[in-house]
Amino acid sequence: MNWKPMGALIGLRYKLMWAKTRSRGGKIALAAIGFLLAVLLAGVLTAGGVGAGILAIRSGQAERMAQAVLSHLFVTSVVGSLLLGFGMNSVFADAELRRFPLRERERFGARHFLGMADPFWLFVLALEAGLVVGLYVCGTYSFWYGAAAVMLLFVCGYLLTRLLGVWIERLMSTRSGSMVAVGLIMVLSLAPGTLTPILRKQPSLQAGILGVLQYSPPFAAAAAMTHQGAGAFPGLGLIAAWAVCLVAALVALERRPIARRQSARTAGVTWNGPLDRAAALFGPRMAPLVAHWLRFYLRNNRFRILYPFSLVLAAFLTYNIGLLLHVAGGLFVAALGGFPVVAFLGTSRIAVNQYGYVGGAFRRFFLFPTDPAASLRAGSYAAVLLSAAMIPPAAILWAAFAPRPLDPRVALMPAMNAVTVLFWFHGAGLWTSLYGPRRGDYDKALGNDLSLLGNIVFMGTVFACVALPMVLGPAVSPEDWWLTLPPAALAVAFYVASLRGASMAFLARRERLLAVLEGKA
Amino acid sequence: MTAQSDAIRIINLVKRYGQTLAVDDLSLGVPQGSMFGFLGPNGSGKSTTIGCLTGMLDPTAGSVEILGSRFTAESADLKRRMGVMPETLGLFDPLYAHEFLAFVARMYGLEESEVRRRVSELLAALELTDARKTLAEFSTGMRKRVAFAAAVIHSPDVLFLDEPFESIDPGGVALLKQWLRRFTEQGRTVFITSHVLETVERLCDRVAIVTKPGKLVWQGDITVLAGEGAIHHDGRDFESLEALFLHLTGEKYAELNWL
Repeated sequence: MNWKPMGALIGLRYKLMWAKTRSRGGKIALAAIGFLLAVLLAGVLTAGGVGAGILAIRSGQAERMAQAVLSHLFVTSVVGSLLLGFGMNSVFADAELRRFPLRERERFGARHFLGMADPFWLFVLALEAGLVVGLYVCGTYSFWYGAAAVMLLFVCGYLLTRLLGVWIERLMSTRSGSMVAVGLIMVLSLAPGTLTPILRKQPSLQAGILGVLQYSPPFAAAAAMTHQGAGAFPGLGLIAAWAVCLVAALVALERRPIARRQSARTAGVTWNGPLDRAAALFGPRMAPLVAHWLRFYLRNNRFRILYPFSLVLAAFLTYNIGLLLHVAGGLFVAALGGFPVVAFLGTSRIAVNQYGYVGGAFRRFFLFPTDPAASLRAGSYAAVLLSAAMIPPAAILWAAFAPRPLDPRVALMPAMNAVTVLFWFHGAGLWTSLYGPRRGDYDKALGNDLSLLGNIVFMGTVFACVALPMVLGPAVSPEDWWLTLPPAALAVAFYVASLRGASMAFLARRERLLAVLEGKA
Repeated sequence: MTAQSDAIRIINLVKRYGQTLAVDDLSLGVPQGSMFGFLGPNGSGKSTTIGCLTGMLDPTAGSVEILGSRFTAESADLKRRMGVMPETLGLFDPLYAHEFLAFVARMYGLEESEVRRRVSELLAALELTDARKTLAEFSTGMRKRVAFAAAVIHSPDVLFLDEPFESIDPGGVALLKQWLRRFTEQGRTVFITSHVLETVERLCDRVAIVTKPGKLVWQGDITVLAGEGAIHHDGRDFESLEALFLHLTGEKYAELNWL
């Protein structure tokens, strides 16, 4: 291995990160990282890390506890990374590294060392390491075996996420890829809710699954952590074998060329398609811009995955939060928060960073003989139109599965909340598009390329949807249906005010936007 | 040349990015119906000047007049008469060429039948008829052709072209030159930036040369070069645009003993 250039590249990554702190946004990000480090420390010291280790020793079931904690962290980090995009951004593409005198395996190593050095993965590692510290401090377990086990588990978690990410990217480059991906996500999302009651009823099946899980990386790591001397070796050996297999699979998958998506069209052109007709609703001046943005959304891989997935996530959140609430009508209360996810998830990435994916084409909006801010409004109209289109199918689905007899107010209230979130989110998205832009990759199906402000709005809205039912609890009933109307009206007012305000701020922000989008800031 | 016949007038234009001066008190006029070359070394503020001329950037000081009217980012009526091919091309990669050109034509308010006719004719003339490829899948040269088509589709009176010929094959360049010549023969104006001095020398009738930071060092008629003549400047005769350019911008010589 040629370590010198690899070291230089890793150094360059941190120089680039540090360079970002020179800007005002960078300083805010630096403050946020400081806050995250404090959270990380708290996480290490509490349930996820050291606390879990102490609890494991006290319960007398150290291995079982370690299995549970590590499995939870492993699955959460992999799924969270794939769905929310944390830890999935590549610092350098392989093509970029080809100019340097590095062999293929050195380029592979450099890219993935850099990937593992992402703060998200370091946070996961810290939580896992906390468990080792807890077991070592309160028990008689070896620190070094534990440390080796979590390092290997951390590598396995990263590699599995990358492997799935690369596979999804490859899948999305095929014609039917988005449908297959959505189908798989649906199966994976609904599996826990479907399997849990079955497993509860059939202990033999539960034992069988646990037997298979003994060969999984988290269980192997747990075994290595909680055994002494030679007893730790089978666990370490198993997890090392997993790491080797995952590296081999990742290398093989990365070597496979990405199929270039070809249009279904073979000849001729379409002049006035359904998108143009839908956009015509916005009047002759706005119609071309709205049609353009509709195409921009509908041809985006991330939108194609997230849009149908929002329906699945709404059902998943409603069902699982409903179970957690343990109150009569829990499903209804959960739907008040879960249902509105359909009103923003699909369009979320582009809506809060509208120009982040257009690159240099941003200039084009200033060449047209219209108000340049019309492009901002048109993009928002397209996002609202697409997200709003998901509310009726979600309402039908909710009406089909809502508790019987169906009270019309029970059907109406989640839909009204969806309207509230629809206008709140897209109103906020106008401001984040102007004040928190970030250059992103339009073609990437995965990865989080939002700015700090964009992430705050996106994650904050997701969190609000999850937290709302928890806060409301049994206090809300269909009798209070009218309570959903004022927030919806306020959200509409906020959206209208944002359209006006952001339009006025647009010209003043354009040079800053241009600098960000063309990579000069 | 009087101010009244200038299609483009730049008056004491200054552009700063923070403390950095990009354009320094630039004043020049571009006569109507001329093919005007705007030249300068890298980082001399050519693209910044075009940004100010097309509404992308706000001048720090000074003003711009186009076709006799003051131009700002919100001058919609003037923009209708301007065509721009930006350095970054300004293409929306997920679109197909015909979709992109139709979008641009509709934004300029062309009738639907005219949109279809012009898009079809431009695609055929520029050999961009592969309807299965999005703009992202086009080669650099094909992307340039699309950007050029987008700049002329509404038949503007003033055309701004930032590095229009680079990456286009000789056949394509010959076609564009032929169109541009006809364009100026009709009394319309072309403002070109390019680093290919031979092309500028053959194509343009007037040239302005700027150095860092956006400081005008020479402007004048270069048609004399076509007739085996020379440009007289600083007491010297320059028989090519390249010689004059290197004289004004500073000929560079650096010896690296390892190279």
